Amino acid sequence: MSKVYFSTWRGEQINNIGKNEDAWENSAYNLPLEYNEHASSKAFIGWDGVALFNPDVDVVRLATEYAAQYQVYSEACGRCAPGRWGGRILYDLLDKIARGEGSVSDMDHLKEVSKTMQETSKCEIGKTVPNPLLDLMTHFESEFMACIENQKPSKHYHLQDTSYIAKITAPCMDACPAHVDIPAYIEGVRDLRFDDSLMATRQTMPLAHTCGRVCPHPCETECRRTNLDEPISIMELKRLGADYETDHGFGFFHPSEKKAPVGKKVAVIGAGPAGLTGAYYLALDGIDVDVYEELPVLGGEVAVGVPEYRMPIDKYNQDIEAVRSLGVNFITNTKVTADMMRQFENDYDAVLVATGTRISKKVYCDNERSEIQGYWGAIDFLDKVNLQVKYDIMVNEADQKRHMLPSDFVDLSGKTLVCVGGGFTSMDVVRCAIRANAAKVVMLYRRDEATIIKNTTYEEYHEAVEEGVEFIFHSAVAAIKDENNVLKSLVIDRFELVPDPNGGRPTLEKIEGASFEMECDYLIPAVSQSADLKLLPEEWEIERTSWATIKTNGKDYMTSRKGIFAAGDCEYGPMTIVNAVGQAKRAASVISRYVQSGEITLSDEEIMEDHLRKLKVYNKKEKIKGWLPGLPRQHSEVLTVDERKDNNREVKYGFTQEEALSEAERCMRCYYIAMIAH
Amino acid sequence: MINFTINGQNVTALKGESILQAARKAGFYIPTMCYLEKTTPCASCRLCVVETDKTDGFILSCQTPPTEGLSVTIDSDRLKAERTNIMRLYDVNHPLECGVCDKSGACDLQNKTLEFGISAQHFSAKDQHRKIEHWGLINYDPSLCILCEKCVHVCNEIIGDDAIELQFGGYKSSVIPKNSDTLDCTFCGECIAVCPVGALVSSQFQYSANAWELSKIPATCVHCSAGCSLMYEVRHTSNSLGAKDKIYRVTNDFEHTTLCGAGRFGFDFSSEGSKDGEEFAKAIDAIKNADAIRFSSLITNEEAMILQTLKEKLGFKLYNEEARAYQNFMNAFGSISGKIGFGGSLDAIKQSDGIIVLGGRVSSDNPAVRYAMTTAARHNGAKVVYMHPMEDELLQNVVTQFVKYEVGTEEGVIAMLAKTLLETADLSEESRAYFDGLDEGYLCAESNVGDEEYARIAKTFARAKRKTLVIGSDVLTHKRSANIARLCAMIETYSEFAVVVVPTSVNTVGVSLICDLDTDNGGERVVGYNASGTYTIGSLGGVNLGLAPLNSQEGTFVSLNYQVLPTNVAVSYEGYTLNDLASSLGVVAENTIDYTAKLPKEKGFNGSVFDELGNFYSALGEDQRGYLLENRDVRADGKLEEIDDLPEFNGTVVYRCNPVNQFNGYTAQAQQLEKEAVLSGSAQFAAAAKISDGDKIRLEFPQSTQERIFKLDPVLKGTIALVPAYDVGFGGLNEQYRFEKVKIMRVGSES
Repeated sequence: MSKVYFSTWRGEQINNIGKNEDAWENSAYNLPLEYNEHASSKAFIGWDGVALFNPDVDVVRLATEYAAQYQVYSEACGRCAPGRWGGRILYDLLDKIARGEGSVSDMDHLKEVSKTMQETSKCEIGKTVPNPLLDLMTHFESEFMACIENQKPSKHYHLQDTSYIAKITAPCMDACPAHVDIPAYIEGVRDLRFDDSLMATRQTMPLAHTCGRVCPHPCETECRRTNLDEPISIMELKRLGADYETDHGFGFFHPSEKKAPVGKKVAVIGAGPAGLTGAYYLALDGIDVDVYEELPVLGGEVAVGVPEYRMPIDKYNQDIEAVRSLGVNFITNTKVTADMMRQFENDYDAVLVATGTRISKKVYCDNERSEIQGYWGAIDFLDKVNLQVKYDIMVNEADQKRHMLPSDFVDLSGKTLVCVGGGFTSMDVVRCAIRANAAKVVMLYRRDEATIIKNTTYEEYHEAVEEGVEFIFHSAVAAIKDENNVLKSLVIDRFELVPDPNGGRPTLEKIEGASFEMECDYLIPAVSQSADLKLLPEEWEIERTSWATIKTNGKDYMTSRKGIFAAGDCEYGPMTIVNAVGQAKRAASVISRYVQSGEITLSDEEIMEDHLRKLKVYNKKEKIKGWLPGLPRQHSEVLTVDERKDNNREVKYGFTQEEALSEAERCMRCYYIAMIAH
Repeated sequence: MINFTINGQNVTALKGESILQAARKAGFYIPTMCYLEKTTPCASCRLCVVETDKTDGFILSCQTPPTEGLSVTIDSDRLKAERTNIMRLYDVNHPLECGVCDKSGACDLQNKTLEFGISAQHFSAKDQHRKIEHWGLINYDPSLCILCEKCVHVCNEIIGDDAIELQFGGYKSSVIPKNSDTLDCTFCGECIAVCPVGALVSSQFQYSANAWELSKIPATCVHCSAGCSLMYEVRHTSNSLGAKDKIYRVTNDFEHTTLCGAGRFGFDFSSEGSKDGEEFAKAIDAIKNADAIRFSSLITNEEAMILQTLKEKLGFKLYNEEARAYQNFMNAFGSISGKIGFGGSLDAIKQSDGIIVLGGRVSSDNPAVRYAMTTAARHNGAKVVYMHPMEDELLQNVVTQFVKYEVGTEEGVIAMLAKTLLETADLSEESRAYFDGLDEGYLCAESNVGDEEYARIAKTFARAKRKTLVIGSDVLTHKRSANIARLCAMIETYSEFAVVVVPTSVNTVGVSLICDLDTDNGGERVVGYNASGTYTIGSLGGVNLGLAPLNSQEGTFVSLNYQVLPTNVAVSYEGYTLNDLASSLGVVAENTIDYTAKLPKEKGFNGSVFDELGNFYSALGEDQRGYLLENRDVRADGKLEEIDDLPEFNGTVVYRCNPVNQFNGYTAQAQQLEKEAVLSGSAQFAAAAKISDGDKIRLEFPQSTQERIFKLDPVLKGTIALVPAYDVGFGGLNEQYRFEKVKIMRVGSES
């Protein structure tokens, strides 16, 4: 909500022309009134309208610049006849008017070309560029006509008093925390140019195999195709480029050539998705990177948390090798301590902390004591499973004894395992337990089926059910019962949703008398994780969030101590891979400038990225034109239950080429261009 | 099947078909500028927009499949208005050089401009200076380019060179070489073929003739066994009376066919002939007294029939070692499969989602096979296993598993492959025992192909549904070729794999079906027809009596698809033909093509007369060229033999392999084709043979000696060098096993 001078954004009609500023109306949208801390915006112009924040804006010049940006951002255009020539004509004619050489017929031609572009362009950028131009020509016709009639330049035409900053976006790109250029990688698939597809992905996302498999794909929730029928299967299409590179033994298709060494060194703590991503983009910028990893293996939680059947390690290793191929130095088996951090501050030009959240939180029940045998944190449980399955690293004797294992791997034959959770980690626990031959596997979840699906995915939940996991909804552990510190059973409470008589949100209330006891051998708490931040020297007094994660401003990812940055789960709290990637990509960009200039800055691209996310690019109410509804989303084949439940074969086959191509053809290339004048 | 309507008329579409495809099949016209049937839609021109009852705004018919019950309108006034505007945009600043443009008269832009009645430039934009690029055989003028992207699509999706891409730049966009300063490709020229305007043109043809002056002669390419369809475009050379006709260029029906560089640029092998009665008489004598006639497979079926008839009449032997090797191979194949031919085809390769190639360097041996593999890899995501002693860089973006075996061990490799692919097949006990009894340890060790590679092949193909095994010509001349053929036939008969055997020459298959060939034991009096002999006739090199070359002949070939393909006279030949010789020897026919109807029915020929044979593709792409041979049954009484000891090829080994676009004595003459006939090898080879780049070397084969320049090829790996054969003698590649041990010495260093 902000006062604006004029706005046609998303169909609103705010016109305060001639009104005193105090009487201006509010816009309903989060329009970027401030460009950054140094500059106020004068105008915002984009695919869905135009907003002016200042009566002095030269609208003719604004229109001309917007058309010019369409020319500049060539990566997204030049691929269809109406967009290519139409865009040029728009610019030429607008500039002709703006410099005082236009004629009335130019206005007609502008409208005519606009219509052809709106109707027939290949992507939304060509279809929508005319929208705000027509708005300006309609509402400010007199300013255009003044230039024409007087053959005079527009009011600011010769002044260099305004910066015009533009950015290409798309609803999916905006929704993706890593802002992957999704339409470009899908176009690569559609055009069978898989190398181009992968390079488009790797511009902002080095882990293409990984995020082609285990990304929760927030992009698909904001896919514009949803307004027509079903969202594009964006995530899986990412695999085609990655598979092409791997299958044919090409080197690595990096998005750009690695820059010459700049003579700067950065330490990255943690080789998970955030650490790998940070290292990748720092290395691309010519910065030497040492990555320190506590575990004997690289990859962080995706390696030791996400099971093989969802994320085959040989594929993840391809992603890791892509990072290594840029000269990144990995140091494993090295837990970084506060002392080391003090040393790093001297040895390196910057440090990126990306240690994740690897402490399993408690379920908060009676008698919850970590010394009880059978009480086993999800993170450690998955470590033990995955290290053996993926790397043949066996469980040592002490841990075998501690976890009552009959041999040197996680063998749950004859055992009952109860997991408390509801998120991805808990799904991994129960499905791994099935594969470890447990006799009975139970998932306790406080809320209902719909919520568990929302928190994970439909497939994940149904596959777990098919494999034999028993889900008890509206339940929670009230107490642990043990004998001599060996887990025997759990007391479980049942809950029900009680509607709020005042019409508020329904609340979960315990059903008295419905509690029951369940015998079991293992209780795996998988409710959430917290960060282990003992590596941060106390005297640095690095600020924390209220969730005990490292605090940054969420834009440049620098901690309260200069030169120390944080990204991924240790900053945000337990979240998705793609979130970690997005944060680390941004952090790497900031660090790269910081180590070379000493300044903490955001690029215009990054500032625009944040503005657009705040504004939100996706509009779920929009009615789609120019695409035929009813073309079904493709689903790739999965192994049958019997084929998968006793082994670690990858559950999803991935798209066949035919499925991938028909899926890619559904993509509507919803590129947009947004521009701020300041 | 999806039912919908176009302009109110009921239309059906197959699953996966677009509205445009369905419309075309039903006879509706929707204009396009960028659509190419054989590639994925470029979707750049936007002319094919249509309206439907279920959409707001226009939709693109080329990339949208119809939904059930959809009602499509393809020609409303609104559509016409926007299409007209698109054409107006296409015409903005398009250079008005139609008077000299190569494409004029056959230009899509010109045609559509007329169709939409664009008579003036309606819109204006600042013009820009565009530099014309000279890329060897190809020139590119970006100011003429309409950025339809057809060239880019075809280069990547069909050819596999992936040598060009679009440089995105809005109005300044252009086509550029990919990852290179200049065009670095195999110069198939398909980009020229598909270019709808005069942006990509043949540099040699440019400004030499107008499209409308050229007569198009439908013919069959003679350079390899694919028998591609092409058009010789012919015009007389001057305005003077009696001027000679000349082939100006070769074109193809690019919507449905694809041509390689040899087919497109290697057309100028026609020769001037005259009737020298004295030499003719000598030739008659030579044949009458010949012990044998040795001939190459650069020959039509009809001529092969003439030779066979002459043999029967005069009793000489017929030598053609290359075709005999194929004949023996296919006889052995048939002894298991019970059929004359194999089950696969180029189309089968294209449709495949799993392909194994064994024993040939297909990218240069038979580009059509390569293109079919590229098509399968791109469009179907086919997994491609390439098994050969030498890796082939041209196939890297197609091959998903390279299996390197030791030279000479093909029999062992194919046996292990058969065992792998027939693991779950319903075999007789005897056959099962045969495969169970294979000495795997020995075969794997000697061929240097481990169990795990076969296991990976088995895993790769477990989910494939349409599988093809391509057998290259290396094995045809292998000393164990018969057993190799039987093993291949086992795979075809008892697994889901279809087999394609790649013959060497344009009419290897035809000769093998028509002629009763003898083992080449030489002889005192051997007449060579396009082959060596004591007396030679033909159209290659310095023969004693010149005869009509293949582009001056009517007749038919049998392609690797077992398809009988007609070819026609591009330029007339004034000298003699083989039929003239035969007629004088009592085997009389008025025209060579009188033999077309007499081709042996027992081999599957259908008795059609030449003039009944079609030689075109229909507008919808149906192949109307000649006819397919009937695959006749033969006795299946073959038995698998024990695998022989696998031979070892130690020391310096070369592989007879022509450079891309070179095949035979005809391509060797072609002025536009590169003729760098060097021995090319890796640094490793150079070190082992103690030679370096640019050295003049002598190669001592067991039976002959060649002097060549050695060229270090940084792309090659391993210890085997490539030696061309197209420029030697009559250009035979496949008369003996293609790998050979040689002695190499630097010329001048022997002393």
